[in-house]
Amino acid sequence: MDPTSTEDGGGVSAVEGTELPASGNAKATPPTESARTLLTRRTIVFSFWAIVLGLGLPHWLWTTSTYRASLPLSTMNDWAEGKACDLRFAFPIRVRVPGWTREEMVELSGSLSALLDHDGSDGLLDFTIHVGNADEEPILPAHGDPALTVVLHAAGSPDTNGVTSRLEPGESALHLGSGLRQAGEIADQIREITSPQQEALAYLLSGTPFAVTEHGVLRATQNTWSEASLDARNTRAFKPSTTYHLSFSLFVPGNEPSAWAIEDALAAYMTPLLDALAGVSNFTVTTQVQLHASFSPSIAGPTFDEASGKWKLRKEDLSGFVNAAEWPLSPSIGEGSTINFVLYVPAPGHSPLVVADTGGTGWLVPQWGGVAILNLDEPTTPRKSTTDTDRTTLSAANLDEIMLTFADQLTALIGLPSSPAGSLALRIAALQRERATALLLSTASTLGALSRLVHKLPNIPIPDTVATSVGTSLRHLDHACQDLRAGRYSNTDTNLGALGNAQAASEASEKAFFEPSMVGQVYFPDEHKVAVYVPLLGPMGVPLVLAGVKELLGWYRGMREKVKRT
Amino acid sequence: MKLAQLLILPATLLSAVLAIPEYSEHLHLRPLPNGYLYAGFNFTASTSLSAYESQHFRYFPRSLGQILQHSHTKELHLRFALGRWDDESWGSRPRDGKREGGTGVEIWAWLDSGGGKPAVEERWSSLVNSLSGLFCASLNFIDRTKTTRPVLSFEPEGTHRGGGDGMELLHGTLPHEVVCTENLTPFLKLLPCKGKAGISSLLDGHKVFDANWQTMSIDVRPVCHVGEECRLEIQQTVDIVLDIERSMRPRNDPIPRPRPVEELECDESKSYHASDTCYPRRKEGEMAWSLSQIFGTPVRGSCHVADGDESPDVSLEISPDRAVEVLHSGSNETLMSDAQDQRLRVYRLSDSGKYTDISLIQQIIQEAPHQEQPPLYASRQITGFGQERGGMHAVLHNPHTYPQRIVYLESLPWFLRPYMHTLKVLSHPTTSHDQPATPVKPDKMFYTPALDRKRGTHLELLLTIPAQSTVELTYDFDKAILRYTEYPPDANRGFDVAPAIIRVLPLNSNSTAGNGKTQDSYLRTTSLLLPLPTPDFSMPYNVIILTSTVIALGFGSIFNLLVRRFVLAEEVPRSALAVRVAGVMGKVRGWVRSLKGRMRGGGDGGGRAVGGAGEAAGGAGGMNGISGVAESRKER
Repeated sequence: MDPTSTEDGGGVSAVEGTELPASGNAKATPPTESARTLLTRRTIVFSFWAIVLGLGLPHWLWTTSTYRASLPLSTMNDWAEGKACDLRFAFPIRVRVPGWTREEMVELSGSLSALLDHDGSDGLLDFTIHVGNADEEPILPAHGDPALTVVLHAAGSPDTNGVTSRLEPGESALHLGSGLRQAGEIADQIREITSPQQEALAYLLSGTPFAVTEHGVLRATQNTWSEASLDARNTRAFKPSTTYHLSFSLFVPGNEPSAWAIEDALAAYMTPLLDALAGVSNFTVTTQVQLHASFSPSIAGPTFDEASGKWKLRKEDLSGFVNAAEWPLSPSIGEGSTINFVLYVPAPGHSPLVVADTGGTGWLVPQWGGVAILNLDEPTTPRKSTTDTDRTTLSAANLDEIMLTFADQLTALIGLPSSPAGSLALRIAALQRERATALLLSTASTLGALSRLVHKLPNIPIPDTVATSVGTSLRHLDHACQDLRAGRYSNTDTNLGALGNAQAASEASEKAFFEPSMVGQVYFPDEHKVAVYVPLLGPMGVPLVLAGVKELLGWYRGMREKVKRT
Repeated sequence: MKLAQLLILPATLLSAVLAIPEYSEHLHLRPLPNGYLYAGFNFTASTSLSAYESQHFRYFPRSLGQILQHSHTKELHLRFALGRWDDESWGSRPRDGKREGGTGVEIWAWLDSGGGKPAVEERWSSLVNSLSGLFCASLNFIDRTKTTRPVLSFEPEGTHRGGGDGMELLHGTLPHEVVCTENLTPFLKLLPCKGKAGISSLLDGHKVFDANWQTMSIDVRPVCHVGEECRLEIQQTVDIVLDIERSMRPRNDPIPRPRPVEELECDESKSYHASDTCYPRRKEGEMAWSLSQIFGTPVRGSCHVADGDESPDVSLEISPDRAVEVLHSGSNETLMSDAQDQRLRVYRLSDSGKYTDISLIQQIIQEAPHQEQPPLYASRQITGFGQERGGMHAVLHNPHTYPQRIVYLESLPWFLRPYMHTLKVLSHPTTSHDQPATPVKPDKMFYTPALDRKRGTHLELLLTIPAQSTVELTYDFDKAILRYTEYPPDANRGFDVAPAIIRVLPLNSNSTAGNGKTQDSYLRTTSLLLPLPTPDFSMPYNVIILTSTVIALGFGSIFNLLVRRFVLAEEVPRSALAVRVAGVMGKVRGWVRSLKGRMRGGGDGGGRAVGGAGEAAGGAGGMNGISGVAESRKER
């Protein structure tokens, strides 16, 4: 070996070096394989791969996969996007004019209908006018009860006179005096009654996909004042629910009074209201007396105002007035929300207790309940003359005003519209419509959320119960939509009505969305599965892959040579 | 003593005489030997059934009432207990053991059985789940494996329509539950005065759960009297035994420290007594204590909220010779005092006073403290060794001169599998030791075998314990192996087995005239700790990895056998990659070597030759590179 040559070109000598032993052992090449062995080996490798890919992989995927029931995703999305239902509200009106002939009334209803439809194009209410005689019951084909009955009273009728209009609390009727005979005037009156309803429905729909109708994008009310009031009403009210638990509690800082005539007070003030609201929700009532109720340490507490001689509660303290940590105001058992009504009777030393700025004694806690303070009169006569019962029991007379406050708060808390002020029946009907709409909207968005969730998390299991619930929900949604368009708002024997269907749909959709077994395996991702099986897959996979690659290369070379040869 | 019991249970017996007040409360205090004090709080509220059904609550707690209505519970008994009642030195149990629970949480209730078994189970589950929320306890873990249906051990306390038909008794225990302050707070919230006035103001979590023995109970039952409307009564009790000295330690310095030498009281009669050696002198007589020292606060105000409640608030069962001082702020209205019984003093808290305190001074009383002997002594142990099987051994000792009939109830978890054929009940007389043990035949036996993961064992025996003798009850059991996920986080601690409940039946009045009690009483053994075989919890992963490795090894070798081509060693073709790598390696090695040679000899020819040889050999590639080096070394 010449060292200089190494210095000059190591690379060359290295190449030469390779040649040396190879040329030395020239005969040591393996014998060429027969085509048969080659085929056998390739068959073996191929069958291994076939088993792995055809049997092992599907089996592995199948055993580690999660069950996903099929959901009608496109229908769910249609609802979420507002395409499945064009929300319109039928508003059948019956006109009754005592003493008129049928022809006259048909004519009036025709012109009324034209007037109301003229400006009703962008409104959500579909007015239909039906004619009813004074005595005979109207024929209302395919529609529910009329949403409004307009009664035109004859001149000189004792009920009404002149250009006045009147509403009866218990019935959904508009009584018009003899001065109002023109169709335009009547239409104005009807509009006056229905416009708050239109606004409220438009408010509910605005901002949702349902606002896009065939008439263009629905705008919320232009009136900022009414929007603010609708906002306030909406934030105060509880979520729509089939059942509300009303809990009336008397809180007393000391020992007395320890009893109240709540049963009488409830019977006098609450029961009629709750009976009227029975078409909207069910109500359960519980009462309790809690002694030794102290204020929460987080509030400053009432301060004595020398000028007025009253104890004043600062406005900032109102939110912390209810001592949630200590006062036993646990929600009632069972489905539905609990509405709390708290009556606080301050200790004689702290009486009278009022809210500082307004001087009021009651306030409403949005979506929670109402609070009222009852300041008992300072006993003018010495206590001795009164019996023990007077001292320890609040009489029904004491509670009169409080129950009125509570009734007022209850209407606000369930979201009862404040207008038309005259007729409770009309207000409740309006509430039914709004409720059904709100439930329908929330159900649609829940279904949309579920559909997005299913799409986003491919690992989440979907049990059959979810599919069933979604199906139920969609069915009820369709019914609710039809009922709204047909004016079947309330529950009848044969039909759940729009509200009932919307409630059923909402319950089913919530059940589907909050299905507990869907949460369980979100935290068992593919990475885990792979990590656990790496000890198996690694050592098995490497020889398989190498053998496969080698055979593939060999086959490829063989093919190329064949091609070259030819 | 009989009267004392009357006062301890005022609601049960006094109510028969007086019209029931809607709410009453009572505290019974009794010093126990060796410096202990028993304090029994009792709060009874009631409501008419019609008000209850229409959900108008006054003193009856609304939260509990709603739970009972929702789950259709007719009668409820709930117990939270901690510690052990030392009946050897403290005597018989308060309230005949009826308001006492086994360690942990115990609940039994009569539910409306309308709707069949599934409906009852649904109600039971709703009841325990709601109570779990109300009392911040793990009651929701009382599932079907922890629920039994005892036959003989319990009887309804209330008066039920139809004499108890249409009701079903379910019983559940949670021996593992640690009762603590978070259970006391909701308990106090159920009271009308909420621990802010009256005797409940003494209940403070720090003191109650510092006690040697403590049990809280809630009992709801309907009570009917002839000619009156039925009422639903809730009785809440807290029974505690406090170590007087321990609870009187100063609040600002709760850490126990050695006392200064000057303050030690030494027994100077000991021969080794010296200035630096002290044998503590035994305390003589009764210790001095006061309510405010023991509970940290005096009684605040009073909780006389119901009309017609004239019963005393506090009763003190002490020797007539002991001096008692009652301090109260505010008015000086005299307290009710000195009932007919000599040993009992009763007090009524004043309505206007702000604070009331009762204090006793240290006194030496000659008279031996009166103690009632318990009806029965009971203890239970697990015998055997190893992780496979064991045995249960219960000892019931009847100290009385008359035989007693008892009901022995065990509810065992399913993973403890008893063998009933090994059940032996043997009786030994305690008077003479040479007599052989005689087998006792149970009068009745109820046994529900366990089903794995579905139901626990329920064993109930009606036995007669002969007079002055000890009965030993033994049986063997197997320990089941649990599934990996069934072990709790602290698996190596062992598993709690619920205490056995022993009901001592009342004697027939004509058989042994006036000797025994006319009412039945209860006692419970302590809970047991059952060690189960616990696996290494990384086991599943180890198993997966090990089996995977074994499979991979087997697969690899078989696959290679099938796929590889076998040729002679010389015939192995060199792969292009290996050749290239070897070439690079050889070059690097040669370069390094030449560099070394240069540094060593500065142009030494030999070194170069070595480098050249190395390079050449390296060029040969592969393994031969090393042999090439070896060869070149030989050349040198």
